[in-house]
Amino acid sequence: MIEIKGLAKAFAISKGNKLSDTEKQDVRYSEKAFHSVRDVSFQCGSGEVLGLLGPNGAGKTTTLRMLSTALKQDSGSVFINGIDVLQKPIQARKEIGFLSADTGLYGKLTAFENIAYFARLHGMKEAAIKTRIDELFTLLDMHNFANRRVDTMSTGMKQKTAIARAVVHSPKVVILDEPTTGLDIMTVQTVLDFIKSLKTQGTPVIFSTHHLDEVGALCDRVVVIDKGLSSFSGSLEQFKQLTPDGDLRQAFLAVIANQPEQGAA
Amino acid sequence: MWQVYFKELTELLRDKKTLIFVILLPILIFPVLFGIVGLVMATTTSKAMEEQHRYVIVNEQQAPEFAEALFYHKNFKKVETTLSTEQELIAAIRNEEFDVALVIPADFANRKAAVKQTEWQLIYNRSSQLDFMYNYFDEMLKTYTEELQRGTLSQLGVDPTNLTAILKPVELTRVNTAEQRENIGESMGAILAYALVLLCLSGAMYPAVDMGAGEKERGTLETLLICPVSRTAIVLGKFLTVLTTALMTALITVVSLGVWGGIISAFADLSKVSEALASITIVDLMLMFSLLLPTAAIFAALLLAISIYARTFKEAQNYMSPLTILVIVPLMIAMAPGMELDVTTALIPLTNIALAIKELLKGTADYGLLALIFASTTALAAALIAFCVHWFQQEKVLFR
Repeated sequence: MIEIKGLAKAFAISKGNKLSDTEKQDVRYSEKAFHSVRDVSFQCGSGEVLGLLGPNGAGKTTTLRMLSTALKQDSGSVFINGIDVLQKPIQARKEIGFLSADTGLYGKLTAFENIAYFARLHGMKEAAIKTRIDELFTLLDMHNFANRRVDTMSTGMKQKTAIARAVVHSPKVVILDEPTTGLDIMTVQTVLDFIKSLKTQGTPVIFSTHHLDEVGALCDRVVVIDKGLSSFSGSLEQFKQLTPDGDLRQAFLAVIANQPEQGAA
Repeated sequence: MWQVYFKELTELLRDKKTLIFVILLPILIFPVLFGIVGLVMATTTSKAMEEQHRYVIVNEQQAPEFAEALFYHKNFKKVETTLSTEQELIAAIRNEEFDVALVIPADFANRKAAVKQTEWQLIYNRSSQLDFMYNYFDEMLKTYTEELQRGTLSQLGVDPTNLTAILKPVELTRVNTAEQRENIGESMGAILAYALVLLCLSGAMYPAVDMGAGEKERGTLETLLICPVSRTAIVLGKFLTVLTTALMTALITVVSLGVWGGIISAFADLSKVSEALASITIVDLMLMFSLLLPTAAIFAALLLAISIYARTFKEAQNYMSPLTILVIVPLMIAMAPGMELDVTTALIPLTNIALAIKELLKGTADYGLLALIFASTTALAAALIAFCVHWFQQEKVLFR
């Protein structure tokens, strides 16, 4: 279970930096800070897949970074299976499997070494690491490049390795930041099947994406973030009902169009 | 921490740049340097020694014995000329008609007979670094003047058995109290310290850039930060890796220096150098290493902190470039003549290490001062490590 309430995060603007005309129009900019996330709230329960949508620069990645404990929120709360990430970040990290937009892999290590390294950082024993990696290699069809160095891999191979790395410790919740961007159709299908398998196991999954067909195929819940605010949070059905014909693209555009320029949602 | 350490080390050992800077460069730098310097020196010296200089001698009839000695010298070739004034001779040398002109005064024979001093003039181009020609003239003139002195004194009725004592009443013999090791330590100590400290810095630089800014640029840092490991453990793991490479570079350099020094000593028959080097004990080497350890730790912590702050590999390298100059200055101070290790200099970072290494090589180290240097350098290293750990906790640094 992931619970987020009133999340906000601002980044200081260097004294020498002058705001452009576009930035001056943006409500998130003040003289001293950029309020990347202003007020985001949502929940994702067991076995649910939550699609996190939003334009580029809306605050999705910052939200996911706070969820994953990479960043500390300025206000609001994040609970992962009841653990407050601000109070007990190390304990919360044990529960989370996070895939960043960058694959986050070490180029000079092989697929196996990359995954094993993170497994060790999660405190797994050597025997358990081997068994778990073998299981993931089968699930993601990775045996043929297990001992290949990452810097010689294709994008698809890297993404599969990154996913295996993110879930090697069998996390209780999984967060994926644009996991299918730049992948070929076959690899996208493997990733989507993998998310489905997580759902079947009852693992809550949050994934940010720009691909609305993936949202339609996988998600139980949808959250739209725009200009640092959660403009929509509800079930997939509720999201579809925002337009008469249930078109996801139109629903998304409707949410963005209705976004108030000032204040919290 | 150790998981991070071993992983970083594995990656570094698979990196060609690291292998070049940490292993290959220290192994090859001394033989290449010795080789190039030796080759250039040998070639230049040999060429200078074999060179034949074209000379003219004005009024040679005034000193026929000297003119004859010059004529038969293998490095000189006589050129006939009618020129006699200083300006004419200078112009002719500039036009490369000959290389050197010796002007003997026209009244030399008479002045010699009257036991009066005379001034001879040697005109030549002194721009050459290896002034062998002047040395040849000087040697020949010494022999010639001694013969003249003996002749004159004999004419004056001086007993020939007393001539040597009259010509040189005092012979100064130098007795050096410094051991051979002390001499070598004095001349080589500061240079060795300079090389060792700079190699520690260069050995730490690339890994530090790779492990901080490099991780940011590749997007791996974020993944690492969300692992259930404290940031202190992560930064210490990285710090230890940088420290290891810095020390490895210094260690490989010392071993390389020892091996190549031994080979060169054997071939060049430099028995005194070999004896002096052999007198450096294992304790001295361990003390040098123990001083380099906190020095390398200072570099590792400082470079890692800079690297963590930088957004990209290039930005980190830009920040680090001025650091090299900041390191060179205190090392140059240690090389200055008259700089000695005392309580004040023992507290100047890096200058103290260079002076201590010099003293250890000379075999004259004050162990109290060494302890003070070790303590002050370790304290500085500890403060910088603490800063690096603190720096690594800052979001504004990690996510700039």
